[in-house]
Amino acid sequence: MARDNIFVGLEIGTTKVCVVVAEARHDNTLKILGVGNAPSRGIRKGELVDFETAKRCVHDAIADAEERSDVEISEVYLGISGGHIRSFNNRGIVVLEEGREEIDEQDLEDVRTNAREVSLPMEDCVLHTIIQHYYVDGQDGVLNPLGLFGKKLEADFHIVYGIRTRIQNAIRCVKELELETADVVINSFATAQAVLDKNHKQQGALVIDIGGGTADFVVYVEGAVKQSGVIAVGGDHITNDLSIGLKIPSARAEKLKIEEGDVTLGNAFPGETIVLRDETGFAGREIERETFNQIIHCRVREIFEIVARQVDADQNLNYLGAGVFITGGSSQLRGIEHLASEVFGLPSRITAPLPLTGVTSAFEHPQFSTAIGLVRYAHLVHLDRPMARGILSRTMKRLSGIFRT
Amino acid sequence: MVQLNRQYGREETANETRKIRVIGVGGAGSNILDRALLDGIDHVELTTVNTDVQSLTGSVANQKIQLGRNLTRGLGSGGDPELGLAAAEESCEEIQSAVAGCDILFVCAGLGGGTGSGAAPFIAKLAKEAGALVLVLVTMPFTFEGRRRCAQAAASLQLIRENSDAVICFENDRMAELTLPRMGIHEAFAAADVTISQSIRAIANLLLQPGLIRLGFDDICSVLRDGDARALFGFGEADGENRAHDALVKSLRNPLMHRGEMLANATHVIVQIRGGANVTLGEVGIVMEELNRHVSHRTQLMMGIAIDGAMGSRLSVSIISSLGDSSERPHKTEVYPALQEPVRLEPVPAQPAPEPVITLRLEDERPANGAKLDQVEHLAPETRAPIETQAPKKDAAKEADPAKPALKAAPKTIEAKQEVLQFDAVSRGRFEKSEPTIIDGQDLDVPTFLRRRVKVG
Repeated sequence: MARDNIFVGLEIGTTKVCVVVAEARHDNTLKILGVGNAPSRGIRKGELVDFETAKRCVHDAIADAEERSDVEISEVYLGISGGHIRSFNNRGIVVLEEGREEIDEQDLEDVRTNAREVSLPMEDCVLHTIIQHYYVDGQDGVLNPLGLFGKKLEADFHIVYGIRTRIQNAIRCVKELELETADVVINSFATAQAVLDKNHKQQGALVIDIGGGTADFVVYVEGAVKQSGVIAVGGDHITNDLSIGLKIPSARAEKLKIEEGDVTLGNAFPGETIVLRDETGFAGREIERETFNQIIHCRVREIFEIVARQVDADQNLNYLGAGVFITGGSSQLRGIEHLASEVFGLPSRITAPLPLTGVTSAFEHPQFSTAIGLVRYAHLVHLDRPMARGILSRTMKRLSGIFRT
Repeated sequence: MVQLNRQYGREETANETRKIRVIGVGGAGSNILDRALLDGIDHVELTTVNTDVQSLTGSVANQKIQLGRNLTRGLGSGGDPELGLAAAEESCEEIQSAVAGCDILFVCAGLGGGTGSGAAPFIAKLAKEAGALVLVLVTMPFTFEGRRRCAQAAASLQLIRENSDAVICFENDRMAELTLPRMGIHEAFAAADVTISQSIRAIANLLLQPGLIRLGFDDICSVLRDGDARALFGFGEADGENRAHDALVKSLRNPLMHRGEMLANATHVIVQIRGGANVTLGEVGIVMEELNRHVSHRTQLMMGIAIDGAMGSRLSVSIISSLGDSSERPHKTEVYPALQEPVRLEPVPAQPAPEPVITLRLEDERPANGAKLDQVEHLAPETRAPIETQAPKKDAAKEADPAKPALKAAPKTIEAKQEVLQFDAVSRGRFEKSEPTIIDGQDLDVPTFLRRRVKVG
């Protein structure tokens, strides 16, 4: 049986399925016990397209993780991504009835429900309702209104929703492997937990996780999630562009991208080439480095520009004191941070998950940001979980807790 | 949730009513009319035009015109467009009187056969001369109907493009996607008829029914006259809790829409949302927001909302647009030489079996440029005649000789227009079969360097 203090994060990514097993210790730190990995198939743009194949990959990764960590996994925190995920901000309002002046837990729940009451397409369901700010009788900056006196409670929430059936696909995949899904978390939040500390969130930060199939981003302003989004474009697209542009097979393009990938323009010597050695089924040839870089550059720049446009649409670019954090597998492209600085006009860096204890050194790599973020998320939820397990207080506490920090 | 209140609806003002007529040409055309009538279409006059008396008597339209009374003697045109045209010319006066005074004329025809292919361009031309906004809705034959029919249809389509304000072209091959392969062929044809009748109804409703946010004749004109005469149309209707989203999805699923991909190139898009009194602001929001994802930020979206008690709990979304490519503008202005020319009317054929003026060349299916020139030569000047000059006096018909320089310009447009017909996508590589990622009207699966035309290598 799994112990109460074991957390497992499962990220079903487009390139790899990653399982992180971690243990919460008494001093409230997190120790990584083991990480399981399997290359994924049957997943495109962050979503399952071939259920059975994907299930096998998840199974492999889980088995790998169990072996490495010597823990029998029974429950996972599942990361979700995909172009269908959208979000918006909304304000909920609750007016206390006559004769009652103290804000109680029910009011907090009501204001949340009120904020969620927006007309979404029927096929969609809400994934997260994340508190941003409370206002009591118009007073700004209330951190926790519980127990305060007031007549009117207002709260801003960041609401994330997606197409229900697609989210269910991933959950079902886990379920068919005889595992429970403890919670579903969108990848960008999970990633932010792994790469941002409290100060970054307070100063304002933009996290972009460019994975294989999607680019997930999240904006923190004044400690609260201000914006989030998924763009269904990732490393696969870069590979595809290379394959089309250089007329080389996809597998070769992927390898070339990983080995030589660079977004810098004008840095190559004139006529500098990359030699592709001949392999079975592929006659070797030479590729001009500038051409190669140009193709990648165009794609990555476009991803950044789309994110910048979306973030700028809400005028959030001015509030990002801590700058831009780039993570995920595709952040390994050389020079990507300079390109990001150029597009966003903000200090940008490539970042790996913040250090944890345990067998971490190998996993302090941008590739594992989301999976490690998932266990951090789980840990934070656990820390916030009160001893009395009322379902209301639990969900509320956990959400208010995590995203305030 | 905010409910839109019915009282806000403006009363329909009498002076805004437009005369709309739908002409069904040939067998397929009259089928479309029957379908439109079956679905219920108000304030619109229907006319069936056919050479075949048998089919004509079966039609439910309130006005019927038999073409080529002397030429075909009540029989069909036998799949020969030249005969179809000759028959139409014989009955020219009848057609003219039918189109007289129309503000908007829909011409429906199935191309590929004789009457539809031959007469439809001619009727469109007459209507245009009479000052109407002419929208032509045609079906292209199935590929399996044979190369000859397809070629006839293509040649006729080209003439129609020249002679009308907008063409909505439904390819039967694509229509078949609406039905399952094992369904009867008659159902596949019927699916096309339904789609066409929907578009007529949607445009007619848009013009005739009062709206909260009204769209009018002027909006339609600006959208359809602005483009290069290739119209996009989508219509969807849905019921139930999620009707706004469903209706939009349905309208984008229309074969003409390519799941909304085509909208990215449109400069103007009309969208009309119709529903009963219980349309909510949220629903309008959903439709518009989702639609916005498909259009580029330069696109002008014109929104109309109509409250119609008859809709009950249903909600419908109609999208009308035309493909506009500004790069083709220069060509277009060139082809208005008729502005300076005296209006040359079609010599009105007084006697039966006149010499056909529009000659459909079918001997060679892919005519070279020179051949193309012949094909449209006689037609070009008057088709492009502006409205002011087109209330033609009969004596204008006598001054025959068209000025040659004017004709030279004509073929250019045709070529430009033809290019638009082929919309095969650029390479999407391994994402060919996956769900497209479209943001701001850009298909992100297509390599960026290709879309941005960055020269590599």
